[in-house]
Amino acid sequence: MTLTPQRQVSAARPPQAEPSRGPTHGGAGAYPWVMAGAVAVSVCGAALSLNGVLRGWAWYLPVLTTVIVVSLAMAVLRSVRAQPVLVPLGGLASLVLILTFTFFRRDSIAGFIPSDKTLAALGRLLRRASETVLAESSPVAPNAGIVLVTCAALGLVVILVDALALPLGMPATSGLGLLAVLVVPAMIKPQSVGLAGFVGTAAGYLVILACSQWFAPDARTQADTARNPGQIKRAALTGSVALVAALLLQLVIPGFDQGTFPQGSRLNPWGSSNGLNPMISLGNSLRSPSGDGRITYATNATTPLYLRSVTVDRFDGESWSPDDRESTRRAGAGRMDVGHEILAPEQVRQITAVNTGDFTSPYLPAPYAPEAVNGLTGRWSWDPATLTIKGTDTNSRNQQYLVLSSSPKLTTELLNESSAPVRGIPEEFIRPPANLPDIVRSTADSVTQNSGTAYAKAMAIQRYLRAGDFTYSLESPVQGGYDGNGLSVLADFLTQKSGYCIHFASAMAVMARVEGIPSRIAVGYAPGRLTGATVSVAGQGALPEFEVDARDAHAWPELYFQGLGWVPFEPTPSRGVVPPYAQDPSSGGASTHEGNNDGLLPTGGATPPATPETPPLPLPGTGDAAGNQLAPLLYGAAAVLVLVLVAASPRLVRGSIRARRLRRPASGRNGKAAVPLAWAELLDLAADYGVPPVASETPRSFSARLRRSPALNRDDGGKPEGAVSAGSVDAGRRAVITLTGDFERHEYGRPGTGQAESGGKGEQTRAQQIALVREALRRNAGLMARLRADWLPPSVMSRWGWIAGSPFRTVRGVAARVRRAVAGLWDKARDGVRRLREG
Amino acid sequence: MEPHRRTAINEVLPGGHGFAGVAAQGGHQLNGRKTAPLDAVAFRAASERILTAINTVIDGKAEAAKLALTVLLAQGHLLLEDVPGVGKTLLAKTLARTIDCSVSRIQFTPDLLPSDVTGVSIYNQSSRQFEFRPGAVFANIVIGDEINRASAKTQSALLECMEEHQVTVDGHSYGLAEPFMVVATQNPIEMEGTYPLPEAQRDRFMARISMGYPDKDSEIEMLETHQATSPLERVTAVVTSADVAAMIATVQQVFVSEAVKEYTVAVGRATRDSAMLRLGASPRSMLQLLRAAKATAALDGRDFVLPDDVVAVAESVLAHRIILDRKAASTGETPQSVIRGVLAKLPISQEMADSARAHRQAAGSGQPVPRSGRQAPELRHSR
Repeated sequence: MTLTPQRQVSAARPPQAEPSRGPTHGGAGAYPWVMAGAVAVSVCGAALSLNGVLRGWAWYLPVLTTVIVVSLAMAVLRSVRAQPVLVPLGGLASLVLILTFTFFRRDSIAGFIPSDKTLAALGRLLRRASETVLAESSPVAPNAGIVLVTCAALGLVVILVDALALPLGMPATSGLGLLAVLVVPAMIKPQSVGLAGFVGTAAGYLVILACSQWFAPDARTQADTARNPGQIKRAALTGSVALVAALLLQLVIPGFDQGTFPQGSRLNPWGSSNGLNPMISLGNSLRSPSGDGRITYATNATTPLYLRSVTVDRFDGESWSPDDRESTRRAGAGRMDVGHEILAPEQVRQITAVNTGDFTSPYLPAPYAPEAVNGLTGRWSWDPATLTIKGTDTNSRNQQYLVLSSSPKLTTELLNESSAPVRGIPEEFIRPPANLPDIVRSTADSVTQNSGTAYAKAMAIQRYLRAGDFTYSLESPVQGGYDGNGLSVLADFLTQKSGYCIHFASAMAVMARVEGIPSRIAVGYAPGRLTGATVSVAGQGALPEFEVDARDAHAWPELYFQGLGWVPFEPTPSRGVVPPYAQDPSSGGASTHEGNNDGLLPTGGATPPATPETPPLPLPGTGDAAGNQLAPLLYGAAAVLVLVLVAASPRLVRGSIRARRLRRPASGRNGKAAVPLAWAELLDLAADYGVPPVASETPRSFSARLRRSPALNRDDGGKPEGAVSAGSVDAGRRAVITLTGDFERHEYGRPGTGQAESGGKGEQTRAQQIALVREALRRNAGLMARLRADWLPPSVMSRWGWIAGSPFRTVRGVAARVRRAVAGLWDKARDGVRRLREG
Repeated sequence: MEPHRRTAINEVLPGGHGFAGVAAQGGHQLNGRKTAPLDAVAFRAASERILTAINTVIDGKAEAAKLALTVLLAQGHLLLEDVPGVGKTLLAKTLARTIDCSVSRIQFTPDLLPSDVTGVSIYNQSSRQFEFRPGAVFANIVIGDEINRASAKTQSALLECMEEHQVTVDGHSYGLAEPFMVVATQNPIEMEGTYPLPEAQRDRFMARISMGYPDKDSEIEMLETHQATSPLERVTAVVTSADVAAMIATVQQVFVSEAVKEYTVAVGRATRDSAMLRLGASPRSMLQLLRAAKATAALDGRDFVLPDDVVAVAESVLAHRIILDRKAASTGETPQSVIRGVLAKLPISQEMADSARAHRQAAGSGQPVPRSGRQAPELRHSR
């Protein structure tokens, strides 16, 4: 299908062949316009896939105008035959102008010329964009900052694609620019690129390829493209091989479709967790395939220990995030105070030694409720309202510290008795969120309708969430499009009844508030696994060591009971451990913890030892052990494969070049072009075997030098195979002479006569002659020379080097031109002054 | 102004009278009627006969002999410049002898008059009319010995003949014989009483050859062969002047492709842009370069010109026309070396430049090669 337009055009070419070769002869014609159109179509098509990364379609109009303006500017420059270097520069300038016009109309001169005010506004928008990227979950609201970044990036992609396709003459490579656009949704969107985006990109790319083929056909392939019946077959073959490879590779590479490269996993080069918004990173942490951010701790606690990093207490708005309360924070973490009265008869005091390893977050994980933290480096502060500990100039990376914590020993009775009205805690923990979805309120009401006390209500909510209706799943929110947090997400969760801890915790917290119980969401780690090691803690002796990592990331609600303080609950099924006070009396209370923490909990009076029980739920990412052990092996294999491909690529490229040059065209019409192609092959062949061509050399002298050179002339001495070798070398030399003669006649002879003279021999012979030369060179060359010619052919390597160096040469050329221009101007100015002085 | 009447010398001089040594044996009129070109085999046979004949006389100077023949076939004139006694005059004489045509020899001396060269009108008492008595230049091959010893006036008398193939005396133009070739010799060593050829005059010679000393074997052989009688005596004409005319016609038919023309022009432009030259090659020299290249191609048995042909004759054709910059001369450059340098830097064609560029870059040697046939930046002369 893709080749049909090419074929039509090539068939139609002869009558109008010359005028359509716009860029080389005559006026620029339609070429720049069509090409700019193609680039614009492809980039706009690729941008379609960004829907879902950005919410809605409102952002598409600015993107569209940016792309069109930039392409148009470059097309205009090209149609007036501006210097090739100027075209991308003009594109950049037009990009700056249209961005200024779109986003900083008020902060600029005349609405589109940037000024210093524009820069300030730009800084604001960029900050906003980076906040959006860090703090929001996709799809993000298309605010001005993020749209500005999108427009700028797509404008640059237009310039890149254009530069690749036109001045550099690599239209196929221009797909890289489009791929760069597609990578963003592929990484971020759960459903990947999407059909519309892919179709748009592919269509635009094909148009680019077709346009380059129509207007500036590659001289080397030109001869083949016309009426070559094998072309469609070849294209179909290539396409199907690529398709099969894509289908098979994903089966072969483990984890490709199940967590190693999960769609929407995001690239996070800044460590396991940047922690600015734990609510966002939590889902990703849970889905992460490896246990990054490993924290070890040793504790004397007798109950399973939750490590708490931060709390979320404002449930308004689309996206929840921790409130740092910077104004009321207190410096130092040596002594902390819960700030409200605890009337419980008995306090449990615990000592925990934590080693954060490479877990990086501004918040310090600590068990609740911390009274003192010792051994920290850097400056830290704590929030009296939530007892979260945050670094003011540091983060949690590589911290070793000792937390002294205490909490009331809670029992069902105590909680049941706590019916006094809530006093002494900030209003924001009590106020139910505004614009609450109806389903939340109705669910809360129906769940708690038979409950009297606050505790009964809380238990009812927890029971409701832990009951069989709800399933724990990391995938369904992602696929259902309600990943993350927020009131609308919550509503979706209550409808779908499937999600992970953040959904369960927020559901319970919000529903509790609706029912009048102050609540907040704590984010941190569920109880970890025993490592088997022990850590000696001062004054406590050796304590067992536990470990948690990203896969243990957890969120749970904390509800406030007057006189007892903040009490954690566990509404998430199959995760964490339900504390004894929150256990349903009916459930028998024996085995209280479930899920993936089997058998690794501290054994104490309160929690009976775990018995081997239900197999752990298969979690995405954790995979089975065999798969995990196999993964590095297979990665190694894949890496080796890639390395082999890279190592073999010069050889492959060289081989394909040779095959293309020597391919026998079906019709005799192309016979003429075959002579220079064979000659080019001879030049490259000679270069491969150490006789590179010299620019000032005539074909004849090159051929003579090649025949004289050691490459075709080695003294065979007394070697037994000398005779054979000499024979083949002679044949090679003769072939060189014939090829040179053919080329000379073709290049310099009377037009038409060369055809008649060599027509009888045909291209088959030419290929054979090249083969003869090659054979002779190979026989004559040493092992190293042969290896080099095969695997690192200088003709390919040096060309690559040349291409790699082209940007530098361009810069140098421009610099030289500027220098000459300046010198010329200077001379002129001096002459003018002299003339003025004399005359 | 009344146009000069052009008269063939045959009409003027019915008999074989004239100066001693001048045998005006009916020059062939290439200009007038067309001479059929030879086929490749006949051409090759004829050229080989001539070269063999010359080489029997002059030992070890095959290159010079071939170049002399090239100049003859390209309808140019030859300047032989070397120290005395290396066979300049012998070469000229041998070439003239191998061809069955008229030869005249002029020994240039300071007192030689222009009319001695061109001819003079003498009053005939009996017919009571002025009669034109042709000078030494009326011959197919004119050997001008030690041309730089004549006065400038006499030298320039020869100039008109060389350039226009005609003599103008008293308002009458007399056409010269065809083929017509001047072989001049001169001594490079400045001597008293010499008048070095000015640039304009040097430019009219198609090529300059330095004979150079023969190698040892050739010199020994020369001592033997030239002991008793000069081998020149034994040389007989191997081709007729008609043959030569046909050969010239063959040369004229040699095909010159666009690529070779471009290359030739590029060579000329490169010399003009060279920082080492005060005066580059003239457009006329381009014409002569291409003509010499055509003759070279024909002598090589081809009916089309290769860049190799241009390269082969470039040094001989261009070196005596260019003038070195003083700085370059002081660093020991010679015109020949400059021409060689220019040729070594000039890309033959776009393809070769493309193929070579990457390799040069990879080898890290030398400057980038310019894209098309345009000048290399390093050759550009900026003042």
